[in-house]
Amino acid sequence: MCLHFSTTMPLSTQSQAQDEQYVLVASLDNARNLSNILKAISFKDHAIFSATTNGLKVTVEDSKCLQANAFIQAEIFQEFTIREDLVGFQVTLTVLLDCLNIFGGSTAPGVSTALRMCYRGYGYPLTLFLEEGGVVTVCKIKTQEPEEPIDFEFCSSNVTNKVILQSESLKEAFSELDMTSEVLQITMSPSQPYFRLSTFGNSGNAHYDYPKDSDMMELFRCTKTQINRYKMSLLKPTTKALALSCKVSVRIDNRGILSLQYMVRNDDGQICFVEYYCCPDEETDDE
Amino acid sequence: MNCVLEGNCVKAFGRAIHALSRIGEELWLDPMVGGPAASLLVLQLALRSVNAAHSAYACFLFSQLFFQHYSLGSASEQGNETVKCKLVIKSLLPLFRCLTSIERNVERCQISISTPSDRVTIQFFCRHDAVLHIVNTWWQCAPNSPSAFVIGITKTHSFRFQESEALQAVFASHSCPNVLQAPASRLLSDTVMHFPVSQEEITLSVTPLRLSLRNHYERGNVHMKIINTEISLPPDEFDAFQVGVDSDITFCLKELRGLLSFAESHCLPVSVHFGAAGKPVCFSVDNLVLKATVVLATLIDSESGGPSQSPETPAPTTPRCAGAAAPPVGSYDAGNSKPQDFPAVTELIASSQGSPIINPPALGQPCAAISASTMICSLLFRALSSEQEDAADDLPVLASRSDTEEEED
Repeated sequence: MCLHFSTTMPLSTQSQAQDEQYVLVASLDNARNLSNILKAISFKDHAIFSATTNGLKVTVEDSKCLQANAFIQAEIFQEFTIREDLVGFQVTLTVLLDCLNIFGGSTAPGVSTALRMCYRGYGYPLTLFLEEGGVVTVCKIKTQEPEEPIDFEFCSSNVTNKVILQSESLKEAFSELDMTSEVLQITMSPSQPYFRLSTFGNSGNAHYDYPKDSDMMELFRCTKTQINRYKMSLLKPTTKALALSCKVSVRIDNRGILSLQYMVRNDDGQICFVEYYCCPDEETDDE
Repeated sequence: MNCVLEGNCVKAFGRAIHALSRIGEELWLDPMVGGPAASLLVLQLALRSVNAAHSAYACFLFSQLFFQHYSLGSASEQGNETVKCKLVIKSLLPLFRCLTSIERNVERCQISISTPSDRVTIQFFCRHDAVLHIVNTWWQCAPNSPSAFVIGITKTHSFRFQESEALQAVFASHSCPNVLQAPASRLLSDTVMHFPVSQEEITLSVTPLRLSLRNHYERGNVHMKIINTEISLPPDEFDAFQVGVDSDITFCLKELRGLLSFAESHCLPVSVHFGAAGKPVCFSVDNLVLKATVVLATLIDSESGGPSQSPETPAPTTPRCAGAAAPPVGSYDAGNSKPQDFPAVTELIASSQGSPIINPPALGQPCAAISASTMICSLLFRALSSEQEDAADDLPVLASRSDTEEEED
């Protein structure tokens, strides 16, 4: 990555001709609308970017068992131009986040960093033009060959159990979870206890039971009793996405694979989604 | 044992756990039958803790009235059959970490002890919405209403406990020469607030005319940078101010802070019972439904500030059997000759093991042999350094666990 500092080239004066060399140009008046959501999935160094006319999808994976995807639709961007059907590349996410926050990430009202993200294609770096208060920074981040994201083959038709919860109530449980427990056990059932989070820590066990009919539970669709355990270390990163979200959907399919979908409102009130897929811990059998 | 606490009481229970966590690392959960008068079958729940040095002890005693429901379970006709459990306080603290959210969210809390599985289960039934809470209350007033009307999250925590003999301290508070009662205001909390949080020990000096508190530091450790703080209070600040013996007692402030904040949050007056230096000091609060006590050992320091010891105090030479030199201040120093005659004590927590009660006379030579850094004497338990092997038998035991010889350090 290399940085150029310049005070003479505001983003808006870039010529149209220059743009034609890029296969992807995405602009945001407020870079936080991208950086905040990327922070929610930044548990690993590398991220796979995949852009289509629908927008941008950023994927982060861990040990073939956990995958996080952040979706930022084209409508979120002030400008989103793509010249190919699919543009994909991989970058070091931590470096990208550092660049997006290069002006210090201050949250002073009315002050935001504008972003113009440009990519010429395979072999070229990802170029970021960042501007705040008349100062422009150009960052070029080396791109890597994008790895193929895992396809968990998770489809709605195989979902056994699904609930949608208000994030507040899950936040409460997650903030109290006993981290000495190696696993988080999720029980979903059409009968008691309906939806239960359990930990088995050094000092003892804890269960958090959510009633099926309460304001917190926006949707309850459980067809079969399922008890699955997931490694706590894998689920820990999801708390960042949970913190940003207002609603969460929890789905488990017939193989015990967990899908967590978080609805996140950005600074401008627009909706983005973050989703996590997690494989169950091998040692458990479904009951 | 099975008990249910409603909303506000859960907060008080949580505060008790916080206060106990300032004392020791383990908590004794002791459901019991008994009370001041053995004939009254009063159900109680005692929460106790002691520090590693065995120089501080705390007990929170909740009467049946504190609970919405309290039962000892089927196999518990006599106190002897109830299980006494020992838990690690660190496991319990997270449950009561945020008392304001408990107040806001917890509808009721159920605590039960299961002997077959050696587990204590603490369940929080949370409410989700203020409006729904009113509906819930109506439900519970209706006859035959379902007892489990859950509108929010139910949190169930279960902990393995260690079965243990009851922890108890015996303290002859009624025969202490000095008795103070600070009013149900923030008097004591506001006073100790002037000492830095890091201040380990303070000295309380009392004469019939005044009470003063000052910070204590070990002699020989005089640093020019120490800020000395001394606060004097006139007797009329107190609801009761009875000084039989002028004394200076030095005790650990850190261990007391928990009780003081408990008293402050419940607007309870704090009673202080003590005697001369070397004898334990007892701080207590009580109301109709609960009673909290902290007993702290005090330093014996023959050099402490001048003629602080009144002539009545026995000469600090006899390690034991100070009966002969018993001061007129009362049976407090009576020898161990007739433990059974010892009158019922209000501070006494009923011993289901019937351990003998031994009054501690002033400690003498054995303590002089202890280095300055271990001069906290008047230990509550048989727990002294190994140098005191011989003297150990002679040293007074304020409290005992019935069949324990080993120490828990």
